[in-house]
Amino acid sequence: MRSFRVLLLHELRSTWLSWTTWATWALFLSLLGTIHWYAILACSRTPMPWTPTEAVFRWFPLPLLCILPLLTMRSLAEERRAGTLGALLTTPASALAVVAAKFTSVWLTWVIFWISFAIFPAVAAHGLGASTDPRILDGVTLGGGIAFVALSGLLHVSIGILCGSRTRSPGLAALMTFVCLLGLTVSGGLLDALPTDGWEWLGWLKEPADHLRTVGHLEDFASGIVDSQPIVLYLTGCALCLGLTVLAIETAD
Amino acid sequence: MADNVTQPDLALEANRLTKRYGALTAIEDISFKVAPGEIVGFLGPNGAGKSTTLRILAGRLLATSGRATIWGESVALEPAKAKQHLAYMPENNPLPEDLRIREYLELRARLKGVEEDQVELRVDQSMHDCDLQGRASMLIAHLSKGFRQRVGIADALLAQPKIILLDEPTIGLDPHQILGIRDLLRSLRGKMAVLISSHILAEVEQVCDRVIILNRGRIVAQGRTDELRRDLLPSLGHRVVAACTLAELERLTHVMDAHSTCREVRIIGDGWCEFRVVLSPESPARDQLLTTLVSAGLRVREVAEEQAGLEDIFLAATRRDNREVRT
Repeated sequence: MRSFRVLLLHELRSTWLSWTTWATWALFLSLLGTIHWYAILACSRTPMPWTPTEAVFRWFPLPLLCILPLLTMRSLAEERRAGTLGALLTTPASALAVVAAKFTSVWLTWVIFWISFAIFPAVAAHGLGASTDPRILDGVTLGGGIAFVALSGLLHVSIGILCGSRTRSPGLAALMTFVCLLGLTVSGGLLDALPTDGWEWLGWLKEPADHLRTVGHLEDFASGIVDSQPIVLYLTGCALCLGLTVLAIETAD
Repeated sequence: MADNVTQPDLALEANRLTKRYGALTAIEDISFKVAPGEIVGFLGPNGAGKSTTLRILAGRLLATSGRATIWGESVALEPAKAKQHLAYMPENNPLPEDLRIREYLELRARLKGVEEDQVELRVDQSMHDCDLQGRASMLIAHLSKGFRQRVGIADALLAQPKIILLDEPTIGLDPHQILGIRDLLRSLRGKMAVLISSHILAEVEQVCDRVIILNRGRIVAQGRTDELRRDLLPSLGHRVVAACTLAELERLTHVMDAHSTCREVRIIGDGWCEFRVVLSPESPARDQLLTTLVSAGLRVREVAEEQAGLEDIFLAATRRDNREVRT
């Protein structure tokens, strides 16, 4: 436990002292700020069935695919490239402590990024003053969306960590994470879109499609519905990925 | 740092360690022991399996078969306990470039279980031992190869382990730095067991109590230098300067037994010759060379016994092994 605490503090310090983290954060806020800005403009022209905050969370796969690989790519691949991971494992710190510390550090950073998004609805509400529609500061959607990001982030970050453990190249790690997350995000949508009603032989795909519909889970969370199915999926997926990562780095040269 | 109440008889034991990568055998049947406080040299040509053995002992590689024990704890079964007694400096000593020396050593001390109130003290002590005090706040990325090696050794000393494994610790160091590291290693004798893998035979000879020689994944010789000298280079060499003719030298050869020879004869002027006499272990002249030379009619000016160095022992051990494999 002491090793985990020492490593986590070291990881957080390294992450937040690195200019790449701040550049990634700036990119993240630019991306979400732009989406939020256009959503406000759209809502100001015509009444929409969604709030600007909801619109941002509907675009969740975009920062997931573009930003998260940038955060996870350095954690293990960079250490493997430099050879410092092997040196770390010659101390009494276990491989599990190393993986858990790196995972927790990236996960916390990812959640902090999303919490920082709250600045846009707050600034918009403050800037528009008393005349503004109270739905612009959509607290329920914001809280539910961030809770979903935190929960789904367990699986998404662990996928990035696992990809990083399989290569010495941070670039390749980012690419592998991008492909895996794209597969996870798109597969749910594709399976959901299959005409299972017309073709009975595809009926068995209904259940997996229901499990993997990431955006659907996000919408449920944002509207206050807490379903145990995605919670189990993300928790077990995270445990599986981290377990595989521990095995990978224990056997890595 | 966990400390066993009773000190085990052995600091480190490798028992029939074998490591195979598919059809390739990196090391085979490696067995040796290191006593507490002993400094042992680990020698071998490139690819002999030194680093593989050290990595298995450090818990970074699983052996295909065999057992490694550190301070009585099995490396494979109780890695965390074994690592508490061990420090390992790998070859090339990879270090995080973005940390300062003090930050890095403090992190390593905490990971090695040094108590929080002792961290600063131990870091200062290690930096002092490795002459790094003036550079505590330097970024590791800006350090020369020599200073990086020193940081690696300072790291190894941090938690005052029972055993230190050093893989090529003086590679890239200048002669002054090598002397400093050599003195430092000598100062550890009796306090910590040290296993040093090195290509620099002179360094091993001067620092180590005992050597282990590997060739093609197997131990071909191990013991104290004088024991190995007797075992591997039993023929005793002497350099002789004497006034003699070639005929007298020929007579000398007949006086000595069949396995002893006079070689490398060089005439140095005014009737004086310099030559090597190599006596077999069975030679009756072994204990009375001077009498033998005089009785053969030579006027002897100088007789000097040649001492085989570690380099000769190393070459003899590896050559003998290569010959055995060929036959």
